[in-house]
Amino acid sequence: MSISKDTKRQWGKSQIPAIEVRNLTVSYGPVPALLDVSLSIDPGQLVGVIGPNGSGKSTLLKALLGFVKPDFGDVELFGEDADKAKGRVAYVPQRGSVDWDFPVTVGEVALMGRYGKQPWWRDMSAEDREIADYALEQVRMSEFRNRQIGQLSGGQQQRVFMARAIAQGSEILLLDEPFAGVDAATERAILDVLETTREAGRTLVVVHHDLTTADDYFDSLILLKQRLYAHGTPEQVLHPELLSEVYEGKLRVFSHLPTAAQPADGQRGRANE
Amino acid sequence: MVSGVEPMNSAYQWLVEVHLANPYLIKALLTGLLVTTVCSVIGCYIVLRRTSFLADALSHSMLAGVVGGYLVMKILFNEEAHALGMLVGSIASGIFTVAIIGYVSRKSRVKDDAVIGVMYTGIFALGGVLASRFSEYVHVDVYHFVIGSILGVSDSDLKMMAVVAIVVLTFVILAFRQLQLISFDRVMAASIGVNVVLIDYMLTTCTAMVVVTGVQVVGIIQVVGLLIAPGATAYLLCDRLKNMIWVAILFGWSGFLIGYYLSEQLNVSPGGMIVVVSTGQFLLVFLVAPRYGLLAGLQRRLRAIPQQLIEDILGVILRSENEQSTAVAIAQRIEYKSDRIRKAVTSLTRQEMLQVDGDIISLTDQGRQHARRLLRAHRLWESYLQHLGVAEEELHERAHVLEHVHDEDAVDYLDDKLGHPLLDPHGAEIPEDFVHLVPGEEVRVAILREGHRGEIVRVLSANIGGLEVGMQLVVGSREDDSQMWVVTVMDGKSMQGVVRLNHAQADAIIVKLQTSD
Repeated sequence: MSISKDTKRQWGKSQIPAIEVRNLTVSYGPVPALLDVSLSIDPGQLVGVIGPNGSGKSTLLKALLGFVKPDFGDVELFGEDADKAKGRVAYVPQRGSVDWDFPVTVGEVALMGRYGKQPWWRDMSAEDREIADYALEQVRMSEFRNRQIGQLSGGQQQRVFMARAIAQGSEILLLDEPFAGVDAATERAILDVLETTREAGRTLVVVHHDLTTADDYFDSLILLKQRLYAHGTPEQVLHPELLSEVYEGKLRVFSHLPTAAQPADGQRGRANE
Repeated sequence: MVSGVEPMNSAYQWLVEVHLANPYLIKALLTGLLVTTVCSVIGCYIVLRRTSFLADALSHSMLAGVVGGYLVMKILFNEEAHALGMLVGSIASGIFTVAIIGYVSRKSRVKDDAVIGVMYTGIFALGGVLASRFSEYVHVDVYHFVIGSILGVSDSDLKMMAVVAIVVLTFVILAFRQLQLISFDRVMAASIGVNVVLIDYMLTTCTAMVVVTGVQVVGIIQVVGLLIAPGATAYLLCDRLKNMIWVAILFGWSGFLIGYYLSEQLNVSPGGMIVVVSTGQFLLVFLVAPRYGLLAGLQRRLRAIPQQLIEDILGVILRSENEQSTAVAIAQRIEYKSDRIRKAVTSLTRQEMLQVDGDIISLTDQGRQHARRLLRAHRLWESYLQHLGVAEEELHERAHVLEHVHDEDAVDYLDDKLGHPLLDPHGAEIPEDFVHLVPGEEVRVAILREGHRGEIVRVLSANIGGLEVGMQLVVGSREDDSQMWVVTVMDGKSMQGVVRLNHAQADAIIVKLQTSD
């Protein structure tokens, strides 16, 4: 049974969590990738997932996509089992894993968001095309509709994949390191896209690597290393002691962690020694 | 005239008259067109999925399949050279090869390129061994499989090819979106419920079938070329998968027709000639493709105007604003080819950085702003280099190179490190920080210049000369070798007092900038 968007919004209001993970335990072979992780994410949140390499971040994403069979525990999306909710969650791939030379245009990528809505033998409907076009409008990419995806800037490329996720009609977006390997300006542009998407009421779960920006970018953070170490506001999670425990002292960059109030004029003036 | 018409006439004669007179030649023509169509279509996916090595493996493993299929049909049903039997055998051995390659490379530390190399040569060799061991039963001409023979295609072969073509094209048309999606983004495909593994195996099966038909035309060794060359050629021209497939089919046909014709004329093996022409087409397109071709890239690089040249031109015009700049005058000051300078000026005019009035070239407001930003970077770099102890006479040259590093953050950093200097080492004024000095913006007092006024919106450390949020400031001249900022506190029109600030204090006071006058 499909659930209309309106119903979902009402659920959002009555605070049914967008994502509810209960005692999730996943293992590949003898070593658990995730151990007894329980968390709940409210709708309309921009959530960062942090943790060292191999800490189970991508396993968590896979579990939310319904790709892995948990040893124990379950994942619910708006009250529905994750593996039954295929397509309800939109996945935005890591930039490095996309073949930007692939002969596909911006409009075609957005339309891919509708592929799950039609059986494989039937053509895409006019409605599907309209929805895809509207999604492109929402991310301000309509004018690039016929551009091949490799001929876009980094921020624009991210917007195309956000449009695909929006066209999919998903209330939950999973992003795998959207900021990996982009310059500062692009990072800013991508963050803008994420924030507008959140403002449209969607829930975003973002795997993130850079701890120095984590406090600026996200409403809440999830700190993972097999177990769930912390889930809360950036101030609660980016606690030096907690981080050094999780990262086992492999972390050196603490200089930017929230300390004193900082001027908000966007300048990078350094205090004179 | 005559020389142009004659080959056309003879090509026509060959194509129509000779073929009509010889039914077996029509069969060859039909075979070629059919085979190149399916090869080109499947080849597009092989190119995009980067599995050409796999196609090579499939084609080689086919020999074992053909011999196996032949043996089974011969021994069980006593049928000679049964086309369907050999087709099924080839497909089976192809899929077995792909499956075992996948399995071994997943389960062992040996990477898949090495596994492919080991497995396909092994299975190919096994086919050869079987063929010679059972040569009394199996009348397979190994040589024919290795180099192909389009002229020796039987009726049953042709029927088999037609069936393959129908199956493959139906699959590609119906599952077009699924194929596109799993080639482009497998995770997305899986996340919306596409059966990725099934589609993979169906595509592999199609590839195996297509390879079997291709081998008839050009042989085992060259079939990869027939598969991939048209797709690779089309890839250089197309930005949509659908277009790429159509264009690939056209290249497949032209490669076949031209190659086949030339082989007749030169009396060489058609298979070899077809692959030579297909590769030739690829190289030609690689050279001349409008966007992704070699020449287009070269031309773009030649046409591109270096950023450095653009910045030098803006700088030269700004520094000589009291004189009138002409293209000739600019060319005298910049060591660069004058035609490139002219092109750069044209491009800058298009970007509304420069305006040209007859011979006279001048900066627009936007251009002046940009030029002043460069000048600021240049003079800050000079000050910084002097600070480092670089010799006076080298300052300008080295700053000239460094001024192209005018990234906002870098320049702000220099400015701050140098204590926001007013003059460069030669005594020229360093333009103010107009990136941040915009009325209405909140800025540190340290970057203000004489005459700026603003209202204090934040004081970041306690007790700075009694300054408080809400006070109006007017900045006066700098004192003590520009190390001290002097600000006047105003109450309406009347002066309340004068405060002297050091750099740290001036950094700690944030004002909302007002228009100066």
